Amino acid sequence: MTSTTSTTGPSTPTPGKSNGSIKPTKPKDPVLATGRVFAWVAVLVCLIPILLIVVVATTRQWRTGVYSGGFTLDWIIQGFDMVAVNFAYSFQIAVIVLLLNLAIGFPAAWLFARRQFPGRRIAMAITQTPLAIPGIALAIGLIMAYGTGDLKRYGILLVFGHLLYTLPFFIATMVPVLGGRRLQELEQVALTLGAGGVRRFLTVTVPQVKTALLGALILVVTLSLGEFNVSFFVFSPTDPPLPMELHSSHKQDGIEIASAVTVWFLAFVVPAAIVLERLGGAKVSASS
Amino acid sequence: MSATASANRSAPRKRRGAERPVSLLLGLPLAIVVGCLLLWPLAVLAFNSVVSQTDGVTFDNYVTVLTSDRYLTSFLITSVLAVGSTLLALLLCVPAALYIERTKSRASRGIAVALTIPLSLPGIVIGFFVILLFGNVGLVPVASNALFGEPIGAMAYTFTGLLLGYLYFNIPRVILVVRGAVAQIPHDTLDAARTLGATPWHVYQRVVIPALRPAIASASALSLATAFGAYGTAVTLSRGYRVVPLDIADAFTESFQPQLAATLSVVLALVTTLILVIVSRLGEKGGKLS
Repeated sequence: MTSTTSTTGPSTPTPGKSNGSIKPTKPKDPVLATGRVFAWVAVLVCLIPILLIVVVATTRQWRTGVYSGGFTLDWIIQGFDMVAVNFAYSFQIAVIVLLLNLAIGFPAAWLFARRQFPGRRIAMAITQTPLAIPGIALAIGLIMAYGTGDLKRYGILLVFGHLLYTLPFFIATMVPVLGGRRLQELEQVALTLGAGGVRRFLTVTVPQVKTALLGALILVVTLSLGEFNVSFFVFSPTDPPLPMELHSSHKQDGIEIASAVTVWFLAFVVPAAIVLERLGGAKVSASS
Repeated sequence: MSATASANRSAPRKRRGAERPVSLLLGLPLAIVVGCLLLWPLAVLAFNSVVSQTDGVTFDNYVTVLTSDRYLTSFLITSVLAVGSTLLALLLCVPAALYIERTKSRASRGIAVALTIPLSLPGIVIGFFVILLFGNVGLVPVASNALFGEPIGAMAYTFTGLLLGYLYFNIPRVILVVRGAVAQIPHDTLDAARTLGATPWHVYQRVVIPALRPAIASASALSLATAFGAYGTAVTLSRGYRVVPLDIADAFTESFQPQLAATLSVVLALVTTLILVIVSRLGEKGGKLS
């Protein structure tokens, strides 16, 4: 916003005001001032547990106090051995989910963005419904519809569940980008210059949307890695994905080990969230 | 945008490289996925809730759910948690989102990053956070024990602990939706209101809040939906306080009553959807939100 907006005075010019210097960063607006305090409170709420978990995971004996017994990396190393297999498996699932999002979500987002057709709004609303329906309900529906046989054993139900819960985010992020006026003008220019469909797509569309696309794909991967509500019912007991291993560690192990295992999860998800925000952030469709 | 495309198409003779309308076939894979993975399982769920192998079509499960104290209490607790955490998240995050979007400073950008992180954390991790802070050997009780000689604030497994967990996962969701809407308010409008002599309060009352109403409604909707369906946080923190997703899981895996689980799921999905429809209506129409 422009710096002039910080002068909240009435339209009558008041040149004799004592504080002549304009400081755009200091909001005089009471709501923005409150907002700043609340924003910092929210940040503390969000970050304190993450810092705390690192402290617990590197304390030799948490029960007797912060860093009692000194600093140690033993738990962290032990934790890695515990979750390495699950991490690899979860990552594999996430990559499959990512590819499916590209193959299914991208064409659909293109259609929603570029063509008005009867039922378009309803179709988009249905796409977003997995966000509204409790994961557990859908998980039980999936099991009742497709059984607990091979589909569950090979992790296919798990992929299905993750796909359902990531597609809404992927499509909601891509539709406004693909429908952007500037992008379509650029494509139009390329068209009038004689560029064919494939060439236009590869040299105009893809470079224009790649930031948003990358952001959407990172979101898909992190959501898939952390998905619990559906996964809990549809995963194959022989291959527990990462959140299941975290869950059993939280239940069975000492607080230090449980923290260390979780630190490994955060070590991937937190940087991903930071990159994601840099790339323009996630989107959720307003309708539900 | 489609106007230019249709203007192109209206030219009768087909030029080389002329833009064709986007084929509806592009939506086919999505339609198949939605049909097979969303609509069909939901239909099977609904079918299983009313049809049993021994009795044929029966609504006994619905009668059981709607007359049992246990399940009604669960629904009440779930609703209170969902509404409470949503209201807290709105109170905290609407002003915060306004601050983040309207002062594009380095600090506010950092805040934005920090507030996105919880979006991708599973409920169990959030539950574990609450335990680390307020559990029996959590930071707060341990610290107060060291300072005052008695552990204060061991509330992880109480209603407050659950509420904090729910608030945690609702924060990024409200921020996400409201930020997007704040960014859409044209600065010109705000400047115009100010130049015309509106006080800051007036600007909020007449310009900002009305412009944000749909976003506040959809943020509430997303937040409520997530809270009603939350399983991970509840399974980690719930001791005594039952929420509906836990009852569903119990019926399905512990007591092997898939029909009852299906019924509870249908009722929960209906309650959630109904609330979402009402909330969205409040956002669209002139209805007062607050």
